[in-house]
Amino acid sequence: MLANGTTKIASKLAPTINDRHLLRIYDSAPFKSCEKPMTNVYIVGQRVSKLAAAEKATGRSKYIQDVTLPGMLHGKILYSKYPHARIVNIDTSRAKKLQGVRVVLTGEDIPAIRMGVYKDNPPLKAGKVRSYRDEVAAVAATDPAIAEEALNLIEVTYEALPAVFDPETAMQKDAPLVHEAHKTNILKMPWKLHYGDVDAARKEAAHIVEDRFSATWVTHCCLGTSGSIADFDYDNHLTVYSNTQIPSLAQKDFLGTVKALGLKNRRVRVVKPCIGGAFGSKLDTYAYEHVAILLAFHARKPVRILFDRKEEFIATSTRQPAIMDIAQGCDENGKLLFRDITMILDNGAYTSWGATTPSVMMMPISTLYRVPNVRYQASCVYTNNTYAQAMRGYGNPQATFAIESSIDMLARAAGIDPVEFRRINANQPSEVSPQGFRITTCGLTECIDRVAHEIGADDVKKKGEGIGYASLIHVGGGARVYKSDGCGTLMKINDYGKVDVFTGATDMGQGADTVIAQLVAEELGLHIDDIHVIHTDTDVCPWDVGAHASRTTFIAGNSALGAAKKLKEQIVKIASQTLDVDPQQIELNDRMAIFREDTEKNIDLGKLLRKTHFSPGGNMLMAEYFYDPDNENLGRDFKGNLSMTYTFGTHGARVKVDEETGKVEILNYVAAHDVGRAINPMLLEGQVYGGVMMGIGYALTEQVQLEKGEIMNPNFRDYKVLTAKDTVPIEAPILETTDPDGPYGAKGIGEPGCVPTAPAIANAIYDAVGVRIKDLPITPERVLAALKRKKGIDSCGIDPLTEKEYDCT
Amino acid sequence: MKPFTYLIPKTLDEAISLFESHEGRSAYIAGGTDVLIKIKERKLLPDYLISLKHILGPDRPLLNADTKELYISAFITHRTLERSTLIQRTYPILHDAVKNIGSVQIRNTATIGGNLVNAVPSADGAIPLIALDASVNIYGTKGMRSIDLIHFFLGPGQSVLEKGEILTEIVVPPLLPRTGGAYIKFGRRKAMELPLLGVGMLLSLDEDLATCVKARIGLGVAAPTPIRAFSAERFLKGREVNEQTLTEAGQIAADEARVRDSIRGVAWYRRELVGVLVKRMGFTCLQRAGLKHGDSEDV
Ligand SMILES: Cc1cc2nc3c(=O)[nH]c(=O)nc-3n(C[C@H](O)[C@H](O)[C@H](O)COP(=O)(O)OP(=O)(O)OC[C@H]3O[C@@H](n4cnc5c(N)ncnc54)[C@H](O)[C@@H]3O)c2cc1C
Repeated sequence: MLANGTTKIASKLAPTINDRHLLRIYDSAPFKSCEKPMTNVYIVGQRVSKLAAAEKATGRSKYIQDVTLPGMLHGKILYSKYPHARIVNIDTSRAKKLQGVRVVLTGEDIPAIRMGVYKDNPPLKAGKVRSYRDEVAAVAATDPAIAEEALNLIEVTYEALPAVFDPETAMQKDAPLVHEAHKTNILKMPWKLHYGDVDAARKEAAHIVEDRFSATWVTHCCLGTSGSIADFDYDNHLTVYSNTQIPSLAQKDFLGTVKALGLKNRRVRVVKPCIGGAFGSKLDTYAYEHVAILLAFHARKPVRILFDRKEEFIATSTRQPAIMDIAQGCDENGKLLFRDITMILDNGAYTSWGATTPSVMMMPISTLYRVPNVRYQASCVYTNNTYAQAMRGYGNPQATFAIESSIDMLARAAGIDPVEFRRINANQPSEVSPQGFRITTCGLTECIDRVAHEIGADDVKKKGEGIGYASLIHVGGGARVYKSDGCGTLMKINDYGKVDVFTGATDMGQGADTVIAQLVAEELGLHIDDIHVIHTDTDVCPWDVGAHASRTTFIAGNSALGAAKKLKEQIVKIASQTLDVDPQQIELNDRMAIFREDTEKNIDLGKLLRKTHFSPGGNMLMAEYFYDPDNENLGRDFKGNLSMTYTFGTHGARVKVDEETGKVEILNYVAAHDVGRAINPMLLEGQVYGGVMMGIGYALTEQVQLEKGEIMNPNFRDYKVLTAKDTVPIEAPILETTDPDGPYGAKGIGEPGCVPTAPAIANAIYDAVGVRIKDLPITPERVLAALKRKKGIDSCGIDPLTEKEYDCT
Repeated sequence: MKPFTYLIPKTLDEAISLFESHEGRSAYIAGGTDVLIKIKERKLLPDYLISLKHILGPDRPLLNADTKELYISAFITHRTLERSTLIQRTYPILHDAVKNIGSVQIRNTATIGGNLVNAVPSADGAIPLIALDASVNIYGTKGMRSIDLIHFFLGPGQSVLEKGEILTEIVVPPLLPRTGGAYIKFGRRKAMELPLLGVGMLLSLDEDLATCVKARIGLGVAAPTPIRAFSAERFLKGREVNEQTLTEAGQIAADEARVRDSIRGVAWYRRELVGVLVKRMGFTCLQRAGLKHGDSEDV
């Protein structure tokens, strides 16, 4: 079957595809998944290079920075100089007088617009500022330099207010209120989950571990900085060019702003230029987008706002920081009995998706391994810090850091090998977790075994070396967080057999376009370059809830497949009429309609289509499909089958710890995932490699350093995102379980790569030198201080508890 | 970024006269990797940038065959030094430093002179050069003067350069026989990184290949300027170089260091690093001192 398959592929695909690797996927014999991969697929499963890769590599792709419109003005935003202050007065008169300035706006000049899930964030602030990131005024001018100069001419008088930067302090009664009208700093978002009886299970447990972990601010570091252009036409219909992961929801948000301006019945069109990375950062609409709209409305000209790197660090959102208390217990045999977690999340001054990450944290908390009794509670607390957003993994990396570090501690407390402990508790196919997740396919045990094998669990370790593991569960078949989890596809095929696919999906570099093209080509028996995927314009692309939750391959893929199937039906029908054969006998392959019984009758697809088009009463073929999966919103009790299927994985890290400096080196890394089916192993590995590197940065080096609410390192010199030179050897074994609901069996894999990285590394460090670091990032300072503490060295100059320096005389 | 006029003099005198005629509104630029950042951050707002990169001069480091002095034009790039076999073979301490500055792109444009004149305590190029006892030649309206590099730095971003003066050349005196040198930049990642601590060390051994006849220890980010650990150097001189003496030298150097807390790292940790890295560089020096020139190897 394989040889047969591969020869066909060779004739069908571009020369960049390397057949050799196909074998590798199916080569995982002893670890192979529950079901056999499908046969007779040609383009699905191939290492097709990303569409438009050459365009990107040669600098032709148009990013927001490359888009200009005739008469366009340049907008700039003035940010707060205080973390918390009353705005006494804003004098914009000098700025307005500057030549070239067209519009100056402050919070007093704009209608009531509230951004975010909690509707607590106006695009320009009036009355008071609550963080350094607060937008207090905006300018549109004929030139960016003039706009910049105008900002300097705006005089804002502030009256400083007492501020709060620590969420635990902010929870206290007498803490300064960030939003007075809200009456408390604790958000009214009661994240609470309880099933089983945790207290009883605790009494029964043979082994219990309990500890506090923390995760700090990190940021997405998209190479393409943010930007937006707003353009009203003569009739006040609005076009917004923006880097967004949520074109349809952004359209709705922008429509809200248009309505707030008093414009009724207007259209909003969202156009996405090429997006230079997103990772969740573009899942909400931001002040700069709404400000561009407001400026454009007043200027009667298109207005573009572009962020520079510093602004990107200061005025886009971070990953949600968290303080996590966790207790877990197991019986004598290592079976998990309970998990009890309380979290405090620093919400920052405003609310975006960061505050809703507990909804996703619940997934690993309730369902990573089998746990009968679970209690979870999280509070989001306003502070005068920057506010958090969605970021790859959406809370899962934080929760998994606490869970998997604690699992390691528990395994050791129970005297059970950490790999074995995980195997004992691993989720299995076709089980329903107490939170109501219906697991269909599940290759977790296989992932654990594969990683233990590849990382060399049984090899002799040198001094200072250690191995650590951590597993993950993530949504792999969409996630119903909104009322709809759907995605639409429109499709047309022209006279030459070339297909235009209009999808709701968003490609932001991850390869959504390529995967969709592969699925459609496969279904219609076409070549990859016969498929043109259009995903950039809400005027022509159907609705989609957004590129989040690792859902695009699964949801947009199923949607595209649905449309392709309908189109195929029509093609087969006209072929059967033209060839006068039974439709059952017709196959589409290699740009032909094929009749197996009499190959003489085979007809070129283009010819067939032209014949149909240019006959009296002619017809052109088109199809549409809207796929909304059969998954469930979480109920009031936070139970429900959030996703059609779940992705599982295990990571293993082999590290070396320099005991004199505390520096951690990763010698090799294995990240095995049950992906259902690899539609494109190359893109899939790319997601895993990138995810792992992001996870290593999260584990070891990255931190947005805030001091009293101010970001101290808003640049790549001091924000330690890892570089190409820091890459480590990564193996990414792909395990295929062929999910019954996935397109050709696929599950999502966009986020998992960075989910269990930090705990795998933390566990490896413990294995190496016997110290457990519970706070991210795991800096050499923290490791060295812990080593000294462990050795009981009177570490002169260091307070082992605070890690602060003291006088040693 | 504020616009500026870019001027391209061909000689030192022309550069200085341009500087003088735009006095107060001009700055020199070599590779621009420090100066352009300052302009972007509005810490410097010159109307004229006077390029030093087109001034004619040697395009590579040169060893004077008679005096065994090494001459490095201030205007050559880190990349040129990195790729020079002379530097690789004879001055591995400098090679260790320049090969890890920024990235290839940065090293292709940034100059060694700019690195010194910028005068930050983290300058990777400066630490090995002070360990090598280098001096610098400075040209100005009053002619040429020379000063030991260790006296060149006055504070963060400050040097002895007078307005309009140009650093033209770095001179490294001859090495003693049986000398080994090494530099380490300790950072959080492998590229695009300023040192959390930099240690450059040079040991010259007696014929027994064990006794230290001369020691130089340069420290970066251990004080407001690049410094030498004089007490540790004095301690090593005349002693056998081994685990014990190097550990002790490390401790002495750590005590001498005037480290402080910053957002990039805490003082106690930097002090720890001084001790550990001085010891480690000592071992590398020991090993390299025993090698014949040409037996290049990596740290
Ligand atoms: C991304 C990045 C990474 C970096 N990484 C490192 C690193 O790892 N280690 C490190 O030490 N540095 C690093 N730097 C800093 C910088 O690259 C070096 O200090 C470099 O050597 C400066 O040289 P330049 O030729 O670019 O100097 P310029 O920016 O051209 O000049 C620097 C200063 O010196 C003056 N000047 C330059 N040459 C002379 C001269 N001959 N006489 C008188 N005045 C002069 C200029 O007026 C200016 O004030 C990095 C910089 C960047 C942007």
